[in-house]
Amino acid sequence: MNILDIVGINMRFGGLMALADISFNVVKGEILGLIGPNGAGKSTMFNCISGVLKPTSGDMLFETGNRKIRINGYKPEKMTYLGVARTFQNVRLFSALTVLDNVRIGRHCRTRSNFFGAVLRTRSQKEEEQRIVDESINWLKFVGLDKFAFLTAGGLSYGFQRKLEIARSLATDPSLLLLDEPAAGMNPKETKSLVELIHSISDLGITVILIEHDMKLVMGICKRLVVLDHGVMIAQGGPRAIRENPKVIEAYLGRGAADA
Amino acid sequence: MNINLKDALKYLLLAAVLIYPLFSFANEYFLHVMVLIMVYMVLAMGLNIVPGFCGLLDLGYVGFYGIGAYTAGLLTIHFGLSFWVIVPLAALNGAIWGILLGAPTLRLTGDYFAIVTFGFSELVVLFLTNEIWLTRGPLGLPGIDPVIIDFSWFSTLINPEWDWYWEFIGPQPYFYLGLFMVALVYVIMGRMEDSRLGRAWFAIREDSIAASSCGINLLTYKVIGFAISAAIGAVAGAFLARWTMFLSPDMFKFWESFLILCMVVLGGLGNFKGSLVGAAILIALGEVLRIILPALNLPTETRFLAYGLIMVLMMRFRPMGFFPSIATQSQKNPILIKLKKELGSS
Repeated sequence: MNILDIVGINMRFGGLMALADISFNVVKGEILGLIGPNGAGKSTMFNCISGVLKPTSGDMLFETGNRKIRINGYKPEKMTYLGVARTFQNVRLFSALTVLDNVRIGRHCRTRSNFFGAVLRTRSQKEEEQRIVDESINWLKFVGLDKFAFLTAGGLSYGFQRKLEIARSLATDPSLLLLDEPAAGMNPKETKSLVELIHSISDLGITVILIEHDMKLVMGICKRLVVLDHGVMIAQGGPRAIRENPKVIEAYLGRGAADA
Repeated sequence: MNINLKDALKYLLLAAVLIYPLFSFANEYFLHVMVLIMVYMVLAMGLNIVPGFCGLLDLGYVGFYGIGAYTAGLLTIHFGLSFWVIVPLAALNGAIWGILLGAPTLRLTGDYFAIVTFGFSELVVLFLTNEIWLTRGPLGLPGIDPVIIDFSWFSTLINPEWDWYWEFIGPQPYFYLGLFMVALVYVIMGRMEDSRLGRAWFAIREDSIAASSCGINLLTYKVIGFAISAAIGAVAGAFLARWTMFLSPDMFKFWESFLILCMVVLGGLGNFKGSLVGAAILIALGEVLRIILPALNLPTETRFLAYGLIMVLMMRFRPMGFFPSIATQSQKNPILIKLKKELGSS
């Protein structure tokens, strides 16, 4: 059962073909690795799926509530509502706000109270606020940041900021989570706990697509990989097959490296 | 102990301000200035939503102030409506214009939006000056009734001799009405700040791309913020109309917008409590300069130089304002206090 079908996606920026005829499927519940050298179009792919960019042509079919819908050109907030959450390559937190507030904002799309509820402090608004706090603190416990709940997000260490961003995206109740280089800039200890975190996210039944440069990490976590290079998909398959694929070796190490 | 003393001093000061107008030695001019400060407190709090909460520069806030004032003035003169009916109508009119202006232009970012708002406030002044059939143009709008509390329809039902009818004369009743208005807006601001709505605004200010990936519809929430801000400005305008009983287009010139923005920056962007202090300081300074400058043989317009100087000094020494908004300390929500205790004990 596929949660996401990418069918012949093209993304053109002026004369530059950032993605050319990309097709792959994401199976429900799996951890899919999306790898490739710098400038391969990985983040562009994420931007297309999460609604930041609208692909020039092709189809993206997302399964939600036992229905497949075509999500091309949906706005990011609509995609979040449908159940696609993401993190960013360069951490994007609400850095002047507290750690708890960051996660509470993640609950935005699953809550309803409005101006009148806020000003009149209706009972349903109060109950909702309590629920938001409870759920947020649970997600903070899940990533291990609950003891920092009342600190400003900008003051956290880089590794913790990454984790907070993951907690915030989890707070939107996603069925598909897009992680854009979550291990970038982390030390080995932080990376190790991140791997555990990704496994426990997967255990919750959330499908994960992972962009990562740390090959050891990707090969360890993902059962299946998709490799992009210069906007073209050059391979997909299991970690072992990818590691031995001459095209992949060529993309990373240059022509001739595969023969050596 | 230290905090208790500070709190006690605060309440004592508040009580002193509260009963001051009742004394016979209360100076009429001084009370008048206090009422003016309160009008600007409301304006500064309302403006703080746009640049402070949402992070959008708004240079045309006075446009909504003018719309509220003329709405109230015209409704009073032509229809004789009660102040208590007019205030919600003025707020509604302000909000409608906020939506009309905001919905198409809040897609713009940064400087472009600031230019649009600036143009809007100039348009409002031009409209008020040139549409003479409606606003009497530069002649102004005199003869607006003061605020009236009229319960005579009710009291005469009980006892024909009772006449519960009060007309606001002199600064004292306006002082308390103004105080009520400030308190009301203050409570509304506090409740909005600590809610799903306020958090959405802060998210947009901090990082709009991340905000939209949290499911926040950027345009909707910016327009809501802009409309609420406009409505608060219009309420202050309605109060002004029934207080000064005279309106003219040059009361809503661009420099008023700048003055209100200065108050917001002075008090701290994003901290509506700071706006209260900003308003008090700048209005008081304006009054002081009004006396000092003629004594020095300078034209009163020189006071704008003083405002400019203050802004330069602020940028140099306190770029975040006197009371910068600090996310970690402004949380008095019982839910959070409870949570803090739980986290501390575990």
